[in-house]
Amino acid sequence: MTLLAHAITAAPPAALSPEGLRGRPLAWSEAAAGLGLWSTDWTPDLKLERPDALEHHRLVERICAAQPCLPVRFGTAFANADAARASLDKRAETLHAALARVSGKSELALTLLWRDQAAVAPRSATGPGRRYMEQRRAELGAREAKRARAESMVERIVTELAIERPLVWHETCTTANVAVSLAVLVPTERALDRKAELGRIASEFGDVITVLNGPWPPYTFARTE
Amino acid sequence: MKELTRDDATLLELVDRLLNKGVVLTGEATISVAGVDLIYLGLNVVLAAVESIEKSQERRAS
Repeated sequence: MTLLAHAITAAPPAALSPEGLRGRPLAWSEAAAGLGLWSTDWTPDLKLERPDALEHHRLVERICAAQPCLPVRFGTAFANADAARASLDKRAETLHAALARVSGKSELALTLLWRDQAAVAPRSATGPGRRYMEQRRAELGAREAKRARAESMVERIVTELAIERPLVWHETCTTANVAVSLAVLVPTERALDRKAELGRIASEFGDVITVLNGPWPPYTFARTE
Repeated sequence: MKELTRDDATLLELVDRLLNKGVVLTGEATISVAGVDLIYLGLNVVLAAVESIEKSQERRAS
């Protein structure tokens, strides 16, 4: 029997419904260091599908609502409870520190999508070689301008939210559509207020479409490596 | 390139978190989603890879 991992919490485990992924049993494996792993009893021949990822998310939300938790990357599996315990014990100190960092906090996710995807128009030029070079230069300039604009939006968000840097994670211009992908870690009891503030700040940017999600479990801030 | 909708962005942000964030533990099994190793399914590559995955599925089907 394989264990499909969902989240790490401190012992003792909260009282949760015993239903895991696809209605299979939800298990708790307690390690020696006062930590434990919530997982679903799984069989290796069962292939994971996209709905399983979303169900894993709902399970992690349920666990996080019951007690402070560190979401485990989806798809992590252990051969048995002993293997899971050994993995937790090996990194107990780091995991305890991460749990303390995210305890009582939730993640808000902000994505800013460029509104205008107009192609860069090449200047008139004679000859295909020169036209190509000018097109490349124009595209590079446009890309750099977009990156600078995206970074300036992040700066404004961080300043106006008045939030500490370690509680913000962001990437800019990861694809042609995405200007900013940003996550902030906020106190769970204030998450909806902070979400409204974040939405208000982002709505002032006229050149992007705002996609605001959460509160979610603290996926981004649970990383330990 | 396909226009990214709000729903797409929400789903991709969530999938990115499920697959690329969270605690990384050393598991003993490699699990894949629909035959694609999870580690390759992050947000950054999903967007770029959707088209090529679709094409490869079309090729397989034909």
